Amino acid sequence: MKRRSFLKAGSVFSLPMMLGGVNIGVMANSKLSSLLQEENDRVFVLIQQNGGNDGLNMVIPVDQYADLFSLRSNIILPENQILKLTDETGLHPAMAGMKSLYDEKVLTIIQGVGYENQNRSHFRSTDIWDSGSIAQEVLTSGWIGRYLDTQHFGYPEGYPNTENPHPIAITLGPSVSETCQGISSNFSLAINDPTSLITIPGTTGGTLPDLPYGDELNFLRQVVQQTNVYAEVLSQVAEKGTNASSLYPETGQNRLADQLKIVTQLISGGLKTKIYVVNINGFDTHANQVSQGDVSTGGHAQLLSNLSEAILAFMDDLRNQQLDHRVIGATRSEFGRQIASNGSLGTDHGDAAPLIVFGSCVNPGIIGGNPQIAENVGPQSGVPVQIDFKNIFGSILIDWFGLSEAETVPLFSHDFEYLPIVTACNTTTAAGPISDFQIFQFKPYPNPFFEKINISFNSPGAQIKLSLTNSMGQEIHKIENKYFPHGSYQLSHQVPELLPGQYFYQIRSERFSQAIPMIHF
Amino acid sequence: MGGFSNFSLEPYTGSWESQQASHLLRRTMYGPLKENIDEAIQLGLSGTIDKLLVSHDLPDPPINAFFEDDPLVPLGETWVDVPYSRIENINQLVNSRLRSLLAWQMGVAIHEGFSIREKMTLFWYNHFVTADINDANFRYRNNNNYRTNFLGNFRELAKITTIDPTMLRYLNGNQNTKNKPNENYARELLELFTIGKGPLVGEGDYTNYTEDDILEVAKVLTGWKDTGYLSRDDEEVGSLFRSNQHDTSTKQLSNRFDNVTISNMGDQEYQFLIDIILTKDEVSRFMARKIYRWFVYYEIDENIELNIIEPMAQILRDNDYEMYPMVKALLSSQHFFDEYAVGSAIKNPIDFIVGTLKQLNVDLGSDIFTKYLTWVRIAGFAELLQMSYFNAPSVAGWKAYYQPPLYYRIWINSTTLSNRLLFVTILFTGVQVDRLRLRVDLLSLIETIEDVNDPKKLINNLVSLLLPKEIGDEQKEYLKSILIPGLPDYEWTLEYDLYRSTPDNVQLKTAVENRLKGMFYALLSLPEYQLS
Repeated sequence: MKRRSFLKAGSVFSLPMMLGGVNIGVMANSKLSSLLQEENDRVFVLIQQNGGNDGLNMVIPVDQYADLFSLRSNIILPENQILKLTDETGLHPAMAGMKSLYDEKVLTIIQGVGYENQNRSHFRSTDIWDSGSIAQEVLTSGWIGRYLDTQHFGYPEGYPNTENPHPIAITLGPSVSETCQGISSNFSLAINDPTSLITIPGTTGGTLPDLPYGDELNFLRQVVQQTNVYAEVLSQVAEKGTNASSLYPETGQNRLADQLKIVTQLISGGLKTKIYVVNINGFDTHANQVSQGDVSTGGHAQLLSNLSEAILAFMDDLRNQQLDHRVIGATRSEFGRQIASNGSLGTDHGDAAPLIVFGSCVNPGIIGGNPQIAENVGPQSGVPVQIDFKNIFGSILIDWFGLSEAETVPLFSHDFEYLPIVTACNTTTAAGPISDFQIFQFKPYPNPFFEKINISFNSPGAQIKLSLTNSMGQEIHKIENKYFPHGSYQLSHQVPELLPGQYFYQIRSERFSQAIPMIHF
Repeated sequence: MGGFSNFSLEPYTGSWESQQASHLLRRTMYGPLKENIDEAIQLGLSGTIDKLLVSHDLPDPPINAFFEDDPLVPLGETWVDVPYSRIENINQLVNSRLRSLLAWQMGVAIHEGFSIREKMTLFWYNHFVTADINDANFRYRNNNNYRTNFLGNFRELAKITTIDPTMLRYLNGNQNTKNKPNENYARELLELFTIGKGPLVGEGDYTNYTEDDILEVAKVLTGWKDTGYLSRDDEEVGSLFRSNQHDTSTKQLSNRFDNVTISNMGDQEYQFLIDIILTKDEVSRFMARKIYRWFVYYEIDENIELNIIEPMAQILRDNDYEMYPMVKALLSSQHFFDEYAVGSAIKNPIDFIVGTLKQLNVDLGSDIFTKYLTWVRIAGFAELLQMSYFNAPSVAGWKAYYQPPLYYRIWINSTTLSNRLLFVTILFTGVQVDRLRLRVDLLSLIETIEDVNDPKKLINNLVSLLLPKEIGDEQKEYLKSILIPGLPDYEWTLEYDLYRSTPDNVQLKTAVENRLKGMFYALLSLPEYQLS
C-alpha cells in the first residue's frame, strides 16, 4: 500500500509536458501544488475517544462472528443487528450516521490501528499517541506540536501577527492538548466557548530570575498576553460565524456535538486556526459496556451513538456552508480492548482498534483487513496491530498540509510508511494565473547531473523553496527554503548520494511552482 | 539553575523570618493569615512543623442541609451511617447527601487552621483516586480514611483502601471473582498506587512488574465485594469477603517479585500481597516522588532524584512506611527553603479558591445552612477551574501531578485563568456567577495590616502577605496608581484617616472601599498571585 497514491497522483502528469520543462504549477499533484493558497485554510479536527475504545464492538468483523461470539458471548451484538458495510465488515447499529457517511463516500475506516509493543496503561498509551513516539521512547512533545514548531518557529514570541492573527490550534474543553505540545510551548488555546475569555489586567516588569519561579511566572505572563489578544478575536469571529445543520442534538445532550458545532461556527466565521482537538470521554468500559438483557444498548452504544450523531451533524453543517472541502477529521483512542469480554459485561485494556477519518476529501472505504480472531486466543489477547497510527497522521500531514515525506519522517521516530488517506482533493488546485512565471528564468544544469547541480534564477522578492524530488513526487533533498530578495541568483550545491534515474528539480514560491526533469547518472 | 541552589535533605538552619515561614505555611495549609505567620516565626521551624503535622480532632460529620423530606435525618443532623429510606423521590435524597458531603468537604478545608491535614487528605485522594460513586456514606468513609491516616502508615492505608467499599466499586473489585476475574484494580494497584510503572523492557514487562503479574494479582483479590450501597435497609456500608468467589489456586508472581508464590490465604491474602509489593524499594521512591511533586515542585531531575528522592525513600523504608518522618524531613530540609523552591508552584484550583477566601476573610454566611449552600457553590466554582473534590478526572488523579512537560501549568490556560479572575471579580463586585455570591469586607480586612494609611507601606505589606516573592517597583507603582490614580501619596493618608475618624460618613467609606477594591483586584490579577 506504500506510496500507492503517489503513483496514482503521478499518473496525471503527461510525459511530454514534463519533458518540455514547462510550468507545471497548475498541474494536478499533491506534492507540486502543495502549499498553494488552498492549503492555507485547511483544517484538521482530532477527535479523542478517551478511555480505550472497544473497536470490536464498533467495526465488527462479521466474517469472524462465530469466533468472536465464543469469546464475548455476553456482550456481542446479534449478527442481524449489525449494519453491514461489506459482506465482511459492519458497524454498530448506534452508528447509522457513520453508515450513511460511508455510503456517501466521505468516510474511511482504518483497521487495526495501534503501535508495536502496546502499552496498556491509559496514561502511558495516551502519551504515546499524543507524542507520536514508539512504545520504548518517551517524548514530552506532541506530534502536532512538533509539526507546528517547524511552521511557527519561536512561538509564542511575536504571536499573533499579520500572517497568523488567530490561535494556531484550539482545544475545545478545559485543558490544552498534549498533542499540540511543541518543544518549548503548547500551541493550543483551550476554550469552552468562544466568548468565555476575559481580558486580564496586569503589568510586566520585575525581573524574571533564573529559577523555577521565573520560569513559571514567564509562562503565566504568556497565557495572560495570549488570552487578552485572542479573547477579542474569538468573540468577533464567533459573532460572524454560523451553524447550518438541523442534525445537532440539543445543547448539553451530546458534548462532542456541542464541541464540533463550535468548531464549525469558528471556521464559518473565518478563523484561520488549522487544528482543533475535541474530546469524548468514557470509553474505559470495564463493566456494563452493554445493558444486561439488551446488548445493543448500554454505555458503549451510547458513546458510539454520540460519536456518530456528532460527526454526522458536523459534516452536514460543513456541507451546507460549503466548507466541507476544507475540513477533515480523525478519531483516535489510546488502545482497543481485549477480544474476550470479562464477566462484568465489559472489556479490559487491549491493543489495536479501528480509527475513522472523515471529510469530503478522504479516500473512502476501508483500509486494512478485519482482525483474524483465532480460535485459541488467550485470556488477555487484544487485536493485533496492522497499521501504525503514526503512518496515518504522518500521511495526513503530507496530503492535507503539504508536508513532504522528508519533512514528515523526522516528526515521528519511526519507520514511516505513507498511506493514501486524504487524497480526493489533491487532484484539484486553486492555482490561478501564474503571472510571475516569466520572472524566474529557472534553469538547473548540467543535465544529466552527477554530484553537483548549478542553478540560476531571478527572484521577484519571495520566499522560495528549492528541492529535488523523485519521479513519484516525493521530496528527497531539500536545497533551500528562504526569502530571496529581488534579483538574480546563481547557486551551486552538492547532491546527496542517489540512485541513477529520473528526478525533478523543483522551485516553489507561494504563487509559483515549476519542476524540471533531470537525469542522474 | 546556578550552583548556589541547595539540593540537600539535611535540616534547614538558616534565618527564620516572615519569608521562610510564609513559604512553609503556603505550601502546607490554605491561605495563611498574618497571625499564622507571626505565630510560625515565634514557634521556630521545628515548632511550626510539629504544629502543622500534629494530629487533631476530626471535624464534625456532614449534616442534612438540603433535604427536608429525609424521613430518617432531620435538617441539621448527620446522615453519616444512616441508610437511605424507602421514599419516592430517592434521587433527590441521594443527591442532597452528595451535595452535603461536597459542601462539607469544602467547609472543612476553609475552616482548617494551622495544619497540613487537609492538603494531605487531598494528596491521598489524588493518590488513591475514586470517583463516580453516588452513595455519600461510601465516599465519606473513603474520605475519612484519608483524613484519619493523613500522615499515617502507607502500608496500612494501602491495605485499608484495597478493600474500601468505594474503591471496590470504582475499580470493579466487587466484580472480580474466581470465574470472572476483572483486572482493573490489580493493574492500578501496581501502576498507580504502589510501585509505579517502569519502562517497557520486554513484551508485557514494565520493569517493576509484568502483565502476568496483573493477572495473578487480580486472582489474589478475587472474592471481595462492597455492601450497603445506596441501602434503604439496615445493610451496613462495608466490605465482604466471599470465600466461594475467591480463587484459591496458588498465584505465581514474576521474577520482578522474585517469583514469589501466594497460596490461598482467604481474606488475608490481599494483606500478604501488599506486603510483598512493599518489599520492593521502588515503592518508596514512587511515594517520595509523589510527595515531592505535591509539596515542592514538579521537576525531578537526576540531581533531585539522587539527593532528595533517594534519601526520602530511605527514610520511608527505615520507618516501615510511616509517612510522618519522610514528610517532616522534606518540609524541614535545606532544599525546601532554597530559592529554587520558593514561589515555584502554580496553585491548584482548591488552593487558589480556599486560600483566597481565607486570606481575604470572606464572609460565608452566619448560620450553618447558609454556609452549606455557599460551600457547595464554591465547590462548584472549583469544578469550573477543573478541580472537584471526589471527582478527579481519571484514576491517575489530576494531570498537574503527573503529566509532563506541563505538570502544574496544566491548571492554567486562557479559559481557566479567565475563570480564576472571574472568581476574584465575584469577591470584589458582589456579582452573582453560577449562583455564587460572596462579599469581601476589605475595610475590616486591611485593619489587620500595619501602616494602612501609608499607600506604599500598605502595598508592601499586602504584597508580602499575598505574593510568594517581592515584586518590582514598577508593579508596585502600578498598584498604587490604581489605589490613588495620579494623586500624591498623602491624599490616601488624608482620605483614609478621615474615613477612620468619621466611619459613619457613608459616601467617604464607599469611596475608600472602591479604591481598595480596584487595587486588590489588580493585585490578585497579577500572574504572581497564581504562584505559591
